[in-house]
Amino acid sequence: MNYPPAKIKKMRELYSKTGEWLRGTGPESDIVISTRIRLARNLANFPFLHRATEGQRKEVERLVREKLKEATLTKDLHYVKLSEVSSVDRLFLMERRLISREHAGGDGERGVAFGKSETISVMVNEEDHLRIQVIRSGFELRDAWKTIDEIDNTLEEKLHYAFSPRFGYLTACPTNVGTGMRASVMMHLPALGLAHHIEKVFNAVGKLGLVVRGIYGEGTQALGDLFQISNQFTLGKSEVEILEIMEGVVPRIAGYERMARKALITENKEQLEDRVWRSYGMLKVARMLSSEEAMHLLSQVRMGVNLGLINDISVETLNELFILTLPAHLQKLEGKEMEASERNVIRASYVRKRLGAFQ
Amino acid sequence: MKCESCNKRHATVHLTEINGNEKRERHLCEECAQSLNNPLVKMPTPADILSSLINQVAPEIGEMSKTTCPACGLSYLEFRSKGRLGCPMDYTAFKKGLVPLLEKMHGASQHIGKVPSRAGKELVVKNEVLQLRKELDKAVEKEDYEKAAKIRDRIFELSASEDKKDEGTVQQDG
Ligand SMILES: [Zn+2]
Ligand SMILES: [Zn+2]
Repeated sequence: MNYPPAKIKKMRELYSKTGEWLRGTGPESDIVISTRIRLARNLANFPFLHRATEGQRKEVERLVREKLKEATLTKDLHYVKLSEVSSVDRLFLMERRLISREHAGGDGERGVAFGKSETISVMVNEEDHLRIQVIRSGFELRDAWKTIDEIDNTLEEKLHYAFSPRFGYLTACPTNVGTGMRASVMMHLPALGLAHHIEKVFNAVGKLGLVVRGIYGEGTQALGDLFQISNQFTLGKSEVEILEIMEGVVPRIAGYERMARKALITENKEQLEDRVWRSYGMLKVARMLSSEEAMHLLSQVRMGVNLGLINDISVETLNELFILTLPAHLQKLEGKEMEASERNVIRASYVRKRLGAFQ
Repeated sequence: MKCESCNKRHATVHLTEINGNEKRERHLCEECAQSLNNPLVKMPTPADILSSLINQVAPEIGEMSKTTCPACGLSYLEFRSKGRLGCPMDYTAFKKGLVPLLEKMHGASQHIGKVPSRAGKELVVKNEVLQLRKELDKAVEKEDYEKAAKIRDRIFELSASEDKKDEGTVQQDG
């Protein structure tokens, strides 16, 4: 398939850098990697997507795409039609968290708009007509809400949303109806995992109406001790009330994680140091690394940096490596499609290079 | 309809017999149907079994099973089996079934969050007042009376502005 040159250039610009949300800055950023808020919105005059005809689907895509361009949500808003890019590109956008797994794997007319800093993105024709998303580095729920609320207001002036006073914003799945809001916080919790406390935390969180998932959404295992904590209910509470619940819970989980880290240091310092340094060493010398192994080792090293055991590498670099070593990113960095075994060699080599190790 | 065999009791069993190309409708009462010893009589279809099962789990379905959305044609049963609604109208068409479902799912069925400005200022204010009432309860519970007083003032303010607006409309109309 031939892509228009401008599109190729845009995608290429993405391959060599990462989004702002990986900077490793913001409140609680030793443990909270990023904060994301998503809003589900639908147009009042169209059926929901799974019941729309091919023609209606195209019409929704065209309408939303045009309005997004008019709305100038951010400068350099870029739109990618997912039906026109390769499956590796779609996987790439998913690894980048600009689109969901479902959106990457779906079919039919659909797209995604995102700004240059990758903090804002809008999925068009995912499960709902629009899924607006804002991602921030660190624990920044209020800031993310303020931004997404404004974007939503801007779009609302141009698009007639499906809304009812009784049920709120109407969505294809009743689990999202009401605010249509899903706020999630990505947390790095290696010590709670090591101390086998993680289940306890998750049970407690569940009672407060929050759910915990692995990093790339539903049905995925937690890779690299990265967990996503998000609100389960969307109806009967206001957006701010939901955020308040999370604001109460997330710092407490971060507190538990810090306590667990402290306990590991006081009770078993040698063992912890050994684990951290072995992981660091492995990353610097390995000749083949699977994605899972890389995630696991990076997780240990990241904890080591946070605890001041390692200080010749930044958290930002480690955050980036979590993403840049994923399969589609590696293939894009290399500029070719590769089998898993070939990727493992390239991944190890890339990590060594970024860590300034012997080649 | 009377039973076509005894012509006395009410016909509650309706059968379609197919013999080659010939189709024959039969309408019988329970007793005559039994005495015919027709193997079809007491055999529930898979759909019957399913709907009776669903009825045990979710009683609202029995009542809603014949409801279909006039806009997109989705039936309530289809919605329950797939879990996805067909169009915004479904929330109205299936309201009776949805309310208990949403109560179970979210612990609530009334939206009190953001309101699009298109939906009208009144609704925005109404939701804000609902929200403030909740906060008021919380403040009282925590015995934070200073905060509670402030919230109460705000509720009065909002209600007053609504009243004024109503008066304004009346004058305009007159
Ligand atoms: Zn009879
Ligand atoms: Zn419908």
